Parts: sequence; structure tokens; C-alpha cells
Amino acid sequence: MFIGQDITRVDALDKVLGKAAFAHDLTKNNMLFACVVRSSRPHAVLKRIDVSAARALEGVVKIISHEDIPGENLFGAIKKDQPFLAAGRVRYKGEAILIVVAATEETARRASELVRIEYEDLENISDPFLSIQSPVLIHDGGNLLSHRKVIKGDAAKAFESSDVIVENTYSTTWIDHAYMETEAGLGYLDDRGRMVVASSTQNIHYKMKEISRLLAIPPEEVRVIQATTGGGFGGKLDVTVEGYLALAVWHTKRPVFMRYTREESLLAQTKRHPLYIVYKTGARKDGSLTAVEVNIVGDTGPYNSYGETVCLRAAVHATGPYEVPNVLVNSRMFYTNNPVAGAMRGFGVPQLALAHESQLDEIAGLIGMDPLDIRMKNALKRGSLTATSQVLNHSAGLLETLKAIEPAWRERRKERPGSGFGLGCMYYGIGNTGISNPSSCYLTLTPEGRVEMHSGVCDIGQGSDTVLLQILCDALGMEEMGIDLVRGDTDTSYDAGSTSASRQTYISGMAVCDAAQKLKKYLKEQGYYDGKPLKDICRDAADKGVPIFEGYFDPPTTAPDPETSQGAPYATYAFATHMTEVDVDEVTGVCKAVKVHAAHDVGRAINVSNVKGQIYGGVAMGIGLALMEEFIPGKSESFDNYYLPTSMDMPEVEAMIVEDREPTGPFGAKGVGEPALIPQAAAVVNAIYDATGIRMRQLPCDIERLKLALEKDKENKR
Amino acid sequence: MLPKFASVTARTKDEALSWLSSLENPKIIAGGTDLMVKMRAGKHYSHIIDVAGIPELLGVTEKDGRMSIGPAMTHARLSTEASIVRNARSLALACGLVGSPQIRNMGTIGGNLGNASPAADSIPPLLIHDAVLTLESRDARRKVPLEEAIVAPYVTSIDVKELIDSIEISPLRGYREGYRRVAKRATWAISRLGVAFAIREENGRFLDARLAIGSCTPMPFRAKKVEDLLKGAPKNEATISEAIRMALEEIKLISGIRPSYAYKLPVLQGILEEVLRG
Amino acid sequence: MKTIRFLLNGKEASIEVEDNETLLCALRERLGITSVKEGCGIGECGTCTVLVDDEPHYSCLTLASKANGRDIKTVEYLSSSGVLHPLQEAFIRSGAVQCGYCTPAMLLSAYSLLLRNANPDAHDIKEAISGNLCRCTGYIQIEEAIKNAAEICKCNGQD
Ligand SMILES: Cc1cc2nc3c(=O)[nH]c(=O)nc-3n(C[C@H](O)[C@H](O)[C@H](O)COP(=O)(O)OP(=O)(O)OC[C@H]3O[C@@H](n4cnc5c(N)ncnc54)[C@H](O)[C@@H]3O)c2cc1C
Ligand code: FES
Ligand code: FES
Repeated sequence: MFIGQDITRVDALDKVLGKAAFAHDLTKNNMLFACVVRSSRPHAVLKRIDVSAARALEGVVKIISHEDIPGENLFGAIKKDQPFLAAGRVRYKGEAILIVVAATEETARRASELVRIEYEDLENISDPFLSIQSPVLIHDGGNLLSHRKVIKGDAAKAFESSDVIVENTYSTTWIDHAYMETEAGLGYLDDRGRMVVASSTQNIHYKMKEISRLLAIPPEEVRVIQATTGGGFGGKLDVTVEGYLALAVWHTKRPVFMRYTREESLLAQTKRHPLYIVYKTGARKDGSLTAVEVNIVGDTGPYNSYGETVCLRAAVHATGPYEVPNVLVNSRMFYTNNPVAGAMRGFGVPQLALAHESQLDEIAGLIGMDPLDIRMKNALKRGSLTATSQVLNHSAGLLETLKAIEPAWRERRKERPGSGFGLGCMYYGIGNTGISNPSSCYLTLTPEGRVEMHSGVCDIGQGSDTVLLQILCDALGMEEMGIDLVRGDTDTSYDAGSTSASRQTYISGMAVCDAAQKLKKYLKEQGYYDGKPLKDICRDAADKGVPIFEGYFDPPTTAPDPETSQGAPYATYAFATHMTEVDVDEVTGVCKAVKVHAAHDVGRAINVSNVKGQIYGGVAMGIGLALMEEFIPGKSESFDNYYLPTSMDMPEVEAMIVEDREPTGPFGAKGVGEPALIPQAAAVVNAIYDATGIRMRQLPCDIERLKLALEKDKENKR
Repeated sequence: MLPKFASVTARTKDEALSWLSSLENPKIIAGGTDLMVKMRAGKHYSHIIDVAGIPELLGVTEKDGRMSIGPAMTHARLSTEASIVRNARSLALACGLVGSPQIRNMGTIGGNLGNASPAADSIPPLLIHDAVLTLESRDARRKVPLEEAIVAPYVTSIDVKELIDSIEISPLRGYREGYRRVAKRATWAISRLGVAFAIREENGRFLDARLAIGSCTPMPFRAKKVEDLLKGAPKNEATISEAIRMALEEIKLISGIRPSYAYKLPVLQGILEEVLRG
Repeated sequence: MKTIRFLLNGKEASIEVEDNETLLCALRERLGITSVKEGCGIGECGTCTVLVDDEPHYSCLTLASKANGRDIKTVEYLSSSGVLHPLQEAFIRSGAVQCGYCTPAMLLSAYSLLLRNANPDAHDIKEAISGNLCRCTGYIQIEEAIKNAAEICKCNGQD
């Protein structure tokens, strides 16, 4: 049995030895260095670009503009609307305009500073609320990227018959992924002249396809390799260095390396979407929810990236994990000239959790109900209908997570002035929303007598390599880890889809199970389970031509109705409850998270240590989201003014694992990556209310915002 | 990437002084935690003179009732140095709160003064200890009170050819002394407000109260008027609120009204209340 | 250019460096020690941490010339005897490694702590790694690993 065990990670040894080759560490003989010239304006026409001084610098090899692109300049995971290199116009500060390739990194950077660009400024659309009224269009189709609705029952009517109604506005801001490793990679031509790009990434097959379009060459002519990746969190889903490297190699025919500085990563890379949420909740005196109406306005910046995804996912998760009979959600995503917002851990759901969890506490306060009780009363459970009228037929362990927290909650005591306790719950659909998002893999046998797993899954630190091996071992009924992992290379694997949406354990895990079934049948026929050594089976197989055992899984979902989003957008959901204790210093406005109890229904914890690692890391990111992280365009230039939580900011965390097994998942597993973060900020904000009587509806609730709110409250009370 | 420069490592003070006087566009580097950041952002000097290893610039000595601190002492060492903990507790505390462990192992008190940031944590404690800098060049040696050495944010009256030779302070014994600091993160963040205090009281009266405030005005300042008011005054709410009113007035007088004061002044008020009430 | 001589992981090293070169750059580019990472370049992330005379320093803010005559340690030192240091073992066992980008630096900060303090309490441990950011783990399993390693080191009488 490997499942449920704390199998140590397959990648950990190299990492503690300092041997793991991250993208930053890649190098090749005769290698050139690339860097990107970026826009200093948020919205402008490029009048003139003068590269003469840059080109004259000794060591500069090539300067590449959009005119040098052999194929398609536009990329995008959802919609191809973002240029690799600006073609006549820039739409945000930091947009890529040119690539400079030089003999040294220093020369490339110095040359990039010598490029002179004349801009003719266009209106800078910086407010998503004004975006739609502006006569200036960021794209031809207009400034509204997406509008999604969730309509269930009749919310308007239900409010009329509600005993209590609470309506408030919430807002969140840009958050940087702040992976410790910035974007980096190495490109080169292999012996056969094929384009190879190795980079820090979450999705090799997608990037392979984008490079093939960019260079107008068949995908088979492109190979993308995942270097050891120093964190992703959604930020390494979009194409970054990969496109520039491919272009640089294409033009110079030499190996090219590039890496973003931290400043560049902060400036140019995608951010979490700022969302503005108007939230109206109705309930009866007994605490049962009657209706919610939610209006969401999002700022996606000038390109889609994952803006449409966030727009829809935020909408279908807007009620939170509760039975709400009447739902009306309008979710709109606008183009602006602000930073490009894209995928980040939770795709809009952490922002919504702030709103629905605050609302619920407020309702509870009005009717005099305990925050835990109101959650238990409304919790989704097996047989419940979600906001999209999906029946939860299987795993739905929210109540169990609430019960796991219950003893700590009931025994809570405010030991000090300023201490407070808050709850946050969440549910999260595993995998992409209402679209096919399959994973595939294959297994084979080696002459040495081992099973070889070929995986295109990008392990970005969350531990999927180890988990998939555990699943395979158990699916094959192996007693030892007799498996070699061949991974992270488009040449040696099938498309497993992106490492995002908490989908790899569930979806790729099922693909592995599928392949394992086939291999198992074969091994059975060959007598493995009757004691014939694998070595012998492999030798026989080698003589006959080694068979390949393919695995595939696509979670069963239905496309959301275009008008109402009704349907079954996800095959399964994860559930969680976090309880947080804070200490608020009313003098300074400092809020310290003291203790977190985090209970997660993960279906089945394939690897307990990994699950806990995700929970702890999610709590940390949630503390950052709640209390300190705020990307301010033009100001947040490095980590000296974009603060991430340190060890000293972390609360004590008690991770509790609930296992309501999911029959459609591998050995019952679902996912935990994003759920770990989602309810944390909401729980902090509710705890702050408990401590101070103040509702913080804007994140982050940093020392200044909190102190100002405390001061205002004092004044109001006077 | 750093701009081009030539660098030398001085083994003795004399060597440093002679390089300072002979080299063109020289700049002293100690821990480098300020200078390296500035140079990475483009600041250029022709010659960098490393003084971190000069034995004469290290150590803490006591003489004639005054203490002398070597400018190359790191924050880490000062925060645990017994004589500093005993005689200048606010300084030990402040040094222990600077940056992160790595920054404290590298950054020096001389560098903290040389950089003269409004948020420099060592400055408020040094102010309440009447710090005087001894500045030395190849041809001269002079003493300057810390208050006069810092002339504007990030600007000192230390000449490019001068070196901080030592920092002299008066020990304070029998005082309730400390340093309160507020920052946006639990650690490793520039202070938004820093208050050094040393208070001696007896029979319900303030005998002597010393207060210096950092990160609030262009330069950390010692609230002398408030100190005068407190000297000999009865320790009661009336005195305390008058002292605080005066402190806030003084700040507004120094720098007018700033947007950040919406946050800082109420916080300062709360901290001063706690500090004075004790 | 100048020549600097120092102890690198217990062995004499001598290299030519530029006057304006950082220790980070010298280690990575001249000596190929890529376990020392660059996450920010300005003392705000900790991934470039090395030990200078057994104290953690940010190599991105350290001029290479400052290494002259000093004892410089990188994570390679911990296993230089051919076996994993208890800290490395504990990091693996406790799940303290996720993406691993912060790991070499974390190990060095932890190692320096154990040299100074064989019995660190929870706060000592938190403080010792408070100059090393980790975006993945929330630090908790790292702290557990350090605690476990401290116990083992004590039993082994090892540094
Ligand atoms: C990540 C980070 C966090 C930080 N956090 C804090 C903080 O919390 N609180 C705080 O106060 N500071 C902080 N700092 C700033 C810095 O660490 C301190 O100011 C430190 O004391 C500087 O000392 P140093 O030896 O590194 O100075 P250096 O950078 O070497 O020098 C700074 C200046 O002082 C001059 N100088 C140095 N020594 C002498 C001398 N003997 N004579 C004359 N001039 C001299 C130099 O020429 C230079 O102008 C932080 C810096 C960083 C990078
Ligand atoms: S690289 Fe971030 S602290 Fe040195
Ligand atoms: S493990 Fe990823 S940054 Fe620490």
C-alpha cells in the first residue's frame, strides 16, 4: 500500500542537495542571452522605435520585433488576443515590445536600455467601471470581455419573503504569485534542428502548441521540457519566456537563455484579478438562506489570459458551499490598461469567499445564530443542489469539515482583549469549468524489468510526481516502488493538461488508473500476480516489442447553459472549513493570525504530508491575501514593497483531513491545492470582526486600513 | 547587475583614510545592505572602499562614563552585546529588530547612520543617548552630535573623505527604556513608526523622560519640548495627554500634514500613552 | 579583476573576480554552485543565503571581494562527508520541500541556528528562518524538520 502513506517525495533528495536544475540554472555551450524591452506606458501607439544605439553595442547579436515573427503573434490559453511582441500599440505598462539577444546578459540588458521608443499616448483606461463607457476600445470587440450569469429560481421574489436581508460591497486587489523562482528558460535547436525550450512552467503541451503557432512549424518540430520549477500558483500557465526564447533561437540558431528579474516579473506578469462584489443575501429567521444576488465586476487588464475563466468560476461559486434555492449572479469582466490579470490559485473563488463568508456571519449576527450553526444549517451535502442545480451525488464532506472544527470552535475563549475568532468555508469545483479537460499518460516496460510511467504532468512543487507514482503502485498492486518516472517532456509524454484548477491528482490520477488497469490485465496474463518476476515479463516483452499502455480521463461535466449557467460544470468538488484566531492590536492596527484550524475534505489523502503541505502553504497565502499583499501598479516594484508572509507572520496551523471518498476519483481522491487558500482570508476577516466589531470589506486588511477603520469606528461611536 | 567600479578592502583605518583622500569619487562600504541596493538601482561611484573588517572600527568600549561604539559593529552583535543591553537597551532592541537575521549579520550601525534613512531603526535610540559621532579624515578629526550630522533624509554632513570613527553615547541606568516599532509585516519590513524611550520616575513624578521618534518626520527627531514638559511633572493622565498633544504638534510643525499621518499620528498617540503610562 | 582566496565548503578556493561582482554571481557563474539562488537581488527573499563564517548572509548584497579570507559555506557543505546531514534528512521526511527553490538557503539558515543553539525552541526556529521567504510551504513543515533535526543532532553529538 502506497496510498495514504507519507511516501517521501521523489524530487526532494535533489532539492536538499542543491542539485535540482531549475530553469534559472540551465546553461549550454555557446549560449546567448535574451531580454525584453517593455513599454513604459499603459496605453499608447508606438510611433517610432530606434534601436540604432542598442544595435551598435558590442555583443548585441539580434534585436527582434513583431515583424520578425514567422507565424502568429497572438497567444492566449482561452482566446488568442495577446501579442508576444507589441505590434504598433501597447496596452499595459510592461508589455513586451522587442527582444534583445546578446553575448552576455549584461549586454542584453544594457542594450535594452538604449532602445528609444516614441509613444503617442492613448487614454489610459484604469477603472473597470468606466471601461465600458470609454469611446476608446482596447480591442475591436469592445471593452467587455465576458458577462456570465447564474440564474436559479427567482431571487427577487425570494427576497420579498425573506426575514433578513444583508447587502454589502467587497473589493480585492491585485496579488502577485511571487513564486520564489522568476520566469526563466533555455532554448536551443537539437541535433535534428528541432526547437527545444526548457522552462519553469505549469503546462508543457500547451506551450508546445503556442510555440508551433508562433513559428509556423508543426508541433512535432517543437519540444518543451519542464525544468525544475520554483513555484507556479497559476502564474506560469501563460506563455512567458518560452515564446521569446523560441523567437531568439529561431533567428540566431544558437542556444539562448533568459530569466526575468524580480522587478520584471512583478511588472510584466499576470496577477490575481481585483474583483468588486456587490452581494445581497436573504435568509429566514431560522437561518436558512433564501436567496443571493451577486454583482461582480472584474478587471482583467488588456488581455484575456484567464479572465473569462475567472469570470465564470467566480459566478458559479458565488453562493459559497450552501444550499441557496434562489440565485442571481451577474459576473462581468472588463478590459482595462492595468496589469494583465490571469490565473492565480483559486481563479476568483477566494475573492468570492471573502464576500459570502462575511455575509453569512452578518446574517448570523442579525438573527442571533452562531456562525458555525448557520453554516451547518445551510451546508451542501450529498443530494444537495448547487447554485447551478447540479445534484451532489457523491463526495460532499462540508459538514464533516465543520464537525472537525466544532470542538475547537465551541471551546474558543477570548483570552486577551483584541482576540477574535472567525470561520470560513468553501467549496471548489475540481478541474476546468464545464469544458473537456482530459489528461492522458502511458506506461511501458523497460528491459531492466521496471514499469515506466510517462507523465506530462508538471510538478511545480505540489508533489504530483510522487502522488501519481503512489496511485500507480497501488493500482498495479505492487509491493515496491518498481517504477521509473519519465516526466515533464513533450517528447516522452502525452498531454496531461495544465497543473491548475486543483486537477492533477484527480484527473491525471484517473488517467494513470486507466493505464494501470490495462497494464495490470497484461501483467496478469503474463503471470506477474502468480509470482513471475517482472524482470522476466519485461524481457519477454522486449523480445516481442514492448507494448504501450495508454491512460485517459476526462471528467464528466456539462457545459453551463449560456444564459443561466445551469448544469454540472465539475465532476466533483472539494470542501473545507477554516477557523482562525487573531490578535488585533488596536493601537497599531496590527492583526496577527494566531491559530488556524483547517479541515479539508480531499476525498482521499493519497499523501498526507503533501496534503498538509498544501494546507499550510494555502494558509500562508491566505494570510498574505488577508493582511498584507497588495500589488499597486507603478509602486510595487520589488519585494521591498510587496510583502509576503514570513515565518513570523504564520499562525500555528492544525490541518485536519476529512475523507469523503469520491467514487469517480483515483482511490477516492479529489484535490486540495486551491481549496487550501480559498477560505483563509474570509476566516481572518470574520475573526477581525469578532475582535473589533469592525467589518473589513476591502482586502488586504493591512495595518493602515485596519487602524483607520478602528479610528473611524471610534469617531462614529462618539 | 552593478555599475562598474573599482573596489579596495582596507585593513586599517589609516589605509581607509588615505584611500578616501586620494581616490576619486570614493564611497565607503560596510555591510553593503544599503549601498548594494542603491548601486543595483544605478547609483555610481568610481571607488568603493570596504571598511567592514577594520579592527579599529569594531567593538564597544567604556571610558569616562561614556560608551564608544565602533561603526562597523553589526546589528546582530549590538543587539546581544552585554554592555549595550545593559546601558542602552533601546539600542539593543532596535538593532535586534532591523531587517532579517541576514541583514543584521551584515548591516552595521555606521551604515545605518551613513544612509540616514528617516526609518533607520538605530537612530531614535542613539538620539536619546545623546550620540556624538567622531568623524575622521586623513587630515582632521571632529566631533558632531548625531542630530547635526543628519541634515536631510538620506543626507549627512559627513564629507566624502570622512569616516565615522566611533559613535559615543551616554549610558542610561535606572531608566525604563525600550523601543517600539510598527511595520507592515511581523519582521523584515521597514518601520512605519519607531519610538525610543527612556524614562526615570520616582514617587509619581517623571524625573527624566527621553523620547525620540523615527519614520514620522524627514529625520528621526528627539522630542525635546515634550521632555522638558515631563521633567519633574506629576505622572498622571493630564500630564500624559498634554505631552502627547505637544508631541503631535511638534511633528506637524516639523513636516506639516502628510497623508500618512492619518495612520501614524493616532498610532503614535497610542504608543506614547502606553510608553508614558508604563 | 582581483584574486580572492577563501574556504569554500571546507576547501581552499581561489578565483578571479571583478571588482563589482557579487558573491552570488561568483558562486553561480564562476564556481557553478547553482544551489545558491537569485530570487530578488536586493536582500528581500533569502534564496541567495550563504554562510559567511557560519553566519547567514545574503550573497546578492555581498561583494565577492568580501569573501576573501573567510569561510563560505553553501548547502553542498552539509553532505560533503558523503551522507545527508540530519537537517537534509529531516527536510525530506517532514515534507519541508515543495518547489525547493528556497530549500538550500533554508537549510543553511537552519544549520547556522543549530551551530549557535543546540536546543532551539519554536520561536528560535521561526526567527532563524525569518529572513528566508518560502511561498509554497507556509514554513510549518520546515520548522518541524528543524526541530526534528535538532533532536537527532543532539543524540549524535553532531554539529
Ligand atoms: C532587506 C533590507 C531590510 C532592511 N531593514 C532595515 C530595518 O528594518 N531597519 C533599518 O534601520 N534599516 C534596514 N535596512 C537598511 C540597512 O540594512 C541598514 O541601514 C544598515 O544598518 C546599513 O548598514 P551597512 O553596513 O549595510 O551599510 P552600507 O550599505 O555599507 O553603507 C550605508 C551608507 O553608510 C556609509 N557608511 C558605512 N559605514 C560608514 C563609516 N564607518 N563611515 C562613514 N560612512 C559609512 C556608506 O558609505 C553608505 O553611504 C534594510 C536593508 C535591506 C536590504
Ligand atoms: S536574491 Fe533575494 S535576498 Fe538575495
Ligand atoms: S518550497 Fe517553494 S519557495 Fe519554499
